Amino acid sequence: MSLQLLFDALSLGGIYAIAALGIALIFGVMQLVNFAHGQFIACAVFALILPSSQAVAELGLGRLPTPLLIPVILGFGAALALLAEAAVFRPLRNAAPVALMVASFALGVALQNLLLVIYGSRPKAVSLWAGLGHPVQIGGAQVPLLQLLVIGAVALILAGLALMLKHSRIGLEMRAAAQDFGMARLLGVRANRVISGAFALSGALAAVVALVMVAQTGVADVRMGGQIMLIAFIATVLGGMGSLAGAVAAGFAIGAASALLQMALPAEARPFRDAFLYGLVILVLLFRPQGLFAPAGAKPRV
Amino acid sequence: MMAKLGIHDLAVRYGKLTAIADLSFTVAEGERLFISGPNGAGKSSLLGAISGAVRADHGRIEMDGDILTGLGPERIARRGLSMVPEGRRIFGALSVRENLLVGTGMRRDRAAIADDLETAFTAFPILRDRANAPAGALSGGQQQMLAIARALMTNPKVMLVDEPSLGLAPRIVDEVYDRLCALQALRGLTLVIVEQSSTRAARVGGRMILMRGGRIVADGDAATFAATDLMSEAYFGDAA
Amino acid sequence: MLSQHTIRRRMAASTPLVLALGLLAFVLLATTMGDRATARMATETLIRVTLVAGFWIFVGNSGVVSFGHAAFACVGAYVSAWLTLKPAMKGTLLPGLPDLIAAADWPALPAVLTGGALAALLALVSGAAILRLSGIAASIATFAFLAMVNTIWANWTPVTGGTSSVVGLDRYVTPWVALGWAVAALIAASLYGLSASGLALRATREDEVAASASGIDRYRHRLLAYVLSAFFCGVGGALMGHFIGVINPDAYYLNLTFLMLAMLVVGGIGSLSGAVAGVLALSLAVEGLVRMEKGVTLGATTFALPAGSQEIIIAAAMILVLIFRPAGLLAGREITLPARWVTGRGTTHNGPATDRRET
Repeated sequence: MSLQLLFDALSLGGIYAIAALGIALIFGVMQLVNFAHGQFIACAVFALILPSSQAVAELGLGRLPTPLLIPVILGFGAALALLAEAAVFRPLRNAAPVALMVASFALGVALQNLLLVIYGSRPKAVSLWAGLGHPVQIGGAQVPLLQLLVIGAVALILAGLALMLKHSRIGLEMRAAAQDFGMARLLGVRANRVISGAFALSGALAAVVALVMVAQTGVADVRMGGQIMLIAFIATVLGGMGSLAGAVAAGFAIGAASALLQMALPAEARPFRDAFLYGLVILVLLFRPQGLFAPAGAKPRV
Repeated sequence: MMAKLGIHDLAVRYGKLTAIADLSFTVAEGERLFISGPNGAGKSSLLGAISGAVRADHGRIEMDGDILTGLGPERIARRGLSMVPEGRRIFGALSVRENLLVGTGMRRDRAAIADDLETAFTAFPILRDRANAPAGALSGGQQQMLAIARALMTNPKVMLVDEPSLGLAPRIVDEVYDRLCALQALRGLTLVIVEQSSTRAARVGGRMILMRGGRIVADGDAATFAATDLMSEAYFGDAA
Repeated sequence: MLSQHTIRRRMAASTPLVLALGLLAFVLLATTMGDRATARMATETLIRVTLVAGFWIFVGNSGVVSFGHAAFACVGAYVSAWLTLKPAMKGTLLPGLPDLIAAADWPALPAVLTGGALAALLALVSGAAILRLSGIAASIATFAFLAMVNTIWANWTPVTGGTSSVVGLDRYVTPWVALGWAVAALIAASLYGLSASGLALRATREDEVAASASGIDRYRHRLLAYVLSAFFCGVGGALMGHFIGVINPDAYYLNLTFLMLAMLVVGGIGSLSGAVAGVLALSLAVEGLVRMEKGVTLGATTFALPAGSQEIIIAAAMILVLIFRPAGLLAGREITLPARWVTGRGTTHNGPATDRRET
């Protein structure tokens, strides 16, 4: 039972952490809270299937063999994010963070309704990697194979990202830009390269979340990005706005809290789990407005 | 001979406020130019405009005859103009070594970068000792050294330094200037330094421009400034 | 002779008067010249004026974007529905209501007021936590608050009816009732903007450090604006219910949030007149687009925009405004009476008809 809980917490938290990273990366380099991130996720989900108003979706890109499918969808997410940056956020490069945030909200609404226009509003059943639902016996727990794969993939992605940020040129430039963009530019760091890099990474991470969500739920719904984006926001606030490590830690913490609430709440209160979660977060912020994982005494950066 | 750096009719405004009004001067290759003047004279705006961080309203800035005006700060840096900004602005969460490496992105020659890193560590031994420590943990004087060393890592031809003595003890300031002058001689740099103290500028030696209200009020050898009333006139007088 | 300051104050005070007269002309035009659809559109527009003027009280003065105000509209609408629905109907539709509320059979006006008041109370409680955060983090927290309220409303079926609609609300809102509330909201918003608290709050918007150095308690003024703002959003939400007769939680969620935000941004967040201009401009645009989604017959063929294109077009307009006219249509100006009118006699002050808000 408790082992089961651990796996639930890790897989849920891992996905939250990946989503939160997608938000925190962009916030770090350009102080943008990207309200379109949930729609990046939804778009990557719908990229798998062919446009139709049927209740059961026909796979399009999703029919590609897995080794090809994953890079193609990640590339799609990255391309979408790059396009959004070029069309909407580059002209607003010098605008206030509030204007950027409102613009991203508008972009999110536009993308969601674009999906509605193309695919209709009805949620669709999608069978992607149907074999992964089989349970595997670990210790005393029955764990779906998919959950194990998710945990492994998240670990791999986090490690890869940490290595990239620590040791690559673009990683160094991103970290410098996140601290003081103006100074980084004075040292020859190209603003466009860093911002495009952050958006591409963020879009690819959104696509990872999309793949996991489709595999887990078997559904494509235009609204499916909203809830996880909100959790990702909360994780970035709890993590101390712009701190990547903080966002990841907060993502896992929220995953654990969700799994615990799901288990601890009486059955009739379970639909309210997320409401409890959001309330809990507002309470936490009341006592630590600088975030849970920011060093004590640190001021929020905004 | 063509000037290394040329400023022609430069104007900078923030809304209705004029920070710099029709300023012109040139700097020769290898020269050391001090810019002095009271607060609000437009010194930092001038450096900002040259480095591309502040937009010029009109006028022209040239380096080696190429026009810099209108380029973004990263393009100007890539052409060989580097900046040590006011307040140093080091990347506190990055290590000292990483701070130094941020500015090498434009350079392809790895051996030369390693050489420059070695030169920086030789000039500022403290930076070698603390190479892997977070830069935010350095003292003010050490951070100033790091800011200078970091600006040099872009392999600049012209370097702008904004108030290197700000907030530092006089003994540390001596040290900063010693290193700065030694590096200038070593690299054949053209230096433009904002310095409030004319006595300091006179002691270090070089040419000096005195600014007030966004204009140049005097231009000459720093040593002669300290001896005349020009400074106090710039600070307290009402004639521009 | 009147001082420059008095003239400016009088001009500022004339803003709600000018706006109210403008809305009156709008209603008269719509009810006498147009068909029923036009009158319906006019009423909807006026309800949105109530909502957006309320929304502006907080966002316009504090500079903090809130995504949570649709939740206040939701609370206002449901409270008013709980109090006005016939007890027999509540017994079957909403069996979980406490007896006192289940037995209530109020007329609409006090119920709408109570809806606004409870929205304000909720703002007081939630704002006490949320408004301690700095700007962007506070915005995110308001979004979490919106999602929280929506989750509760969509799942608390015995009390809210869950995701299915609550029907049969007293349709008390006529164009004139809507006009009355819109004018009330404009007057309150304008008075707040001119009050000491409004001025202090705008000072914190311009320069947080300087304002706190001058001893302004930003949190207290933010909270006051938030509560007042929530009251009118609660009222606006209740009016929406009493106009269509049907409410459901999704009508008070992201779409409403988006519409309110779009109106404020397009008109200009910096002034109340801008907020009203944004409501008028976007209401007309929405009306036009909805008609085009239903289909426009040109000769033998019928063109229809696909459902959803309305939001896409408005979102695109919003982004274009942010890029090319970031201060909005009115660029932070208030519409006022000319200076020589407010001085009461002909003076040499032939002031402009618009006045930049002095902040």
